[in-house]
Amino acid sequence: MKSRGQLPALHFDKMGYQFDWGVIIREPYWRWLLNGFIKTLILGSISWGIALFLGIIVGTIRTLPAKTARAIGKAYVEFFRNIPLLVQLFFWYYVIPPMIGQWFNRMESLPWIMAIFGLGVYTASRVAEHFRSGLNSVPKGQRQAGLSTGLSNWQLYRYIIIPYGFRLMIPPITTEFLTIFKNSALAMTIGVLELSGQSYKIGTWTFHSFESITAAVIGYLLIGLSIIGFMGWVEEKLKIPGLVGRG
Amino acid sequence: MANEKETLIKIDEVGKWYEDVQALDGISMEIDRKDVVVICGPSGCGKSTLLRCINGLEEFEEGDVIVDGVSVREVRGTKNIYKLRSKIGMVFQHFELYPHLTALENVTLAPKKVFNMSKKEARQKGMELLERVGIPEQADQKPGELSGGQQQRVGIARAIAMDPQTIMFDEPTSALDPEMIRDVLEVMADLAKEGLTMIVVTHEMGFAKEVADEIAFMENGNIVEHNDVETFFKNPESERAKEFVDRVLVHI
Repeated sequence: MKSRGQLPALHFDKMGYQFDWGVIIREPYWRWLLNGFIKTLILGSISWGIALFLGIIVGTIRTLPAKTARAIGKAYVEFFRNIPLLVQLFFWYYVIPPMIGQWFNRMESLPWIMAIFGLGVYTASRVAEHFRSGLNSVPKGQRQAGLSTGLSNWQLYRYIIIPYGFRLMIPPITTEFLTIFKNSALAMTIGVLELSGQSYKIGTWTFHSFESITAAVIGYLLIGLSIIGFMGWVEEKLKIPGLVGRG
Repeated sequence: MANEKETLIKIDEVGKWYEDVQALDGISMEIDRKDVVVICGPSGCGKSTLLRCINGLEEFEEGDVIVDGVSVREVRGTKNIYKLRSKIGMVFQHFELYPHLTALENVTLAPKKVFNMSKKEARQKGMELLERVGIPEQADQKPGELSGGQQQRVGIARAIAMDPQTIMFDEPTSALDPEMIRDVLEVMADLAKEGLTMIVVTHEMGFAKEVADEIAFMENGNIVEHNDVETFFKNPESERAKEFVDRVLVHI
């Protein structure tokens, strides 16, 4: 017998559990997993597109001289980043649709729409913050140099401040890109059977949760590592000699 | 001095505050077309601020600046300020090159975007300018791969890419290694010969003596003395300028 305070190791055989890794490649379960994997990819990618687009706008607004514009940007960010994402998804899925109307509430793709929307607008608030701090890190002299050659404010942002600032924010943006796929697992709580939803479902159908969850782990790992590889490539491409990514 | 001088830039009692600190104290000055004017004085006396007021990069509370007949006060906040700025090139102490663009792209960005110059035309013009400042081989390198002297020469090429009437230098050699200062000063002297109006904030009194037509000595946000170079160095009118000349002349 082991000493007190030390947990006994899990003995699957004593629990009567028989590993059956074949489950994850058997019909129809491999299809479910693949289906979930693809759904996770779609969910993450589309909401990432929304997050980037909105985030860039909100982040830029927060650096403008106009006070009202800055206040609007700030309100957006503070609203979305101070509420748990899970609660936000419930809010979008359960509270808002009936208020819009029954036609909307009964839409078949409602979970999808609200998951993509919820993930997108939430992540946008975080992207906006990185964007703002990136733009603010661009030295003041760049603005003066650009304006002194006769560029308009818009051209200054378009050709100097944003491209420069974007390079400074690649590392935190990579983190957000990863996080949106991880957060997408929450979509199963509002009925989107993405990768974690499918692996959970396989568990309940076959009682082989260990295997199906492991499959999900591998799936997420694959996505995450691909993103890191991709962003590393982007960073290398956009590298400013002597400035970012020294070496 | 010739009589047919024509005022290009008129600074008329410009006053500027940073919160409670007065940076410019009702400063007035006239700069003639094709003149090279050196502005010197102790740090914090308002030299750089004055330059930034001329092209409207800084707002000022009092007075006005007239550039070639255009009032900075009137055009600021409108699109015409862009036009005014494109006629005044500016070179910065810390170069302020765009680090994500190559040397050539740094030079051609404004002509392409402001004048809608075609890529080919802009490239040709950019290469001519880089040749003029002596670094055509570095055209495709990014600023981070260039030495300080080379970066500042790109900075000068960028400032003249819009074919400005005037070019302002804000301590262009202060951040350079001693050996590179000479290269940059030579490029500047060449520009002076070509008839550009130049306003140069610098501590390089040797350059002032050889190249400048006039010198303005500033202190506490005002001009203490504004004279032609010879008078300034040989017979300064004010006590303060005299003291300054006595001190710096030892070094020339």
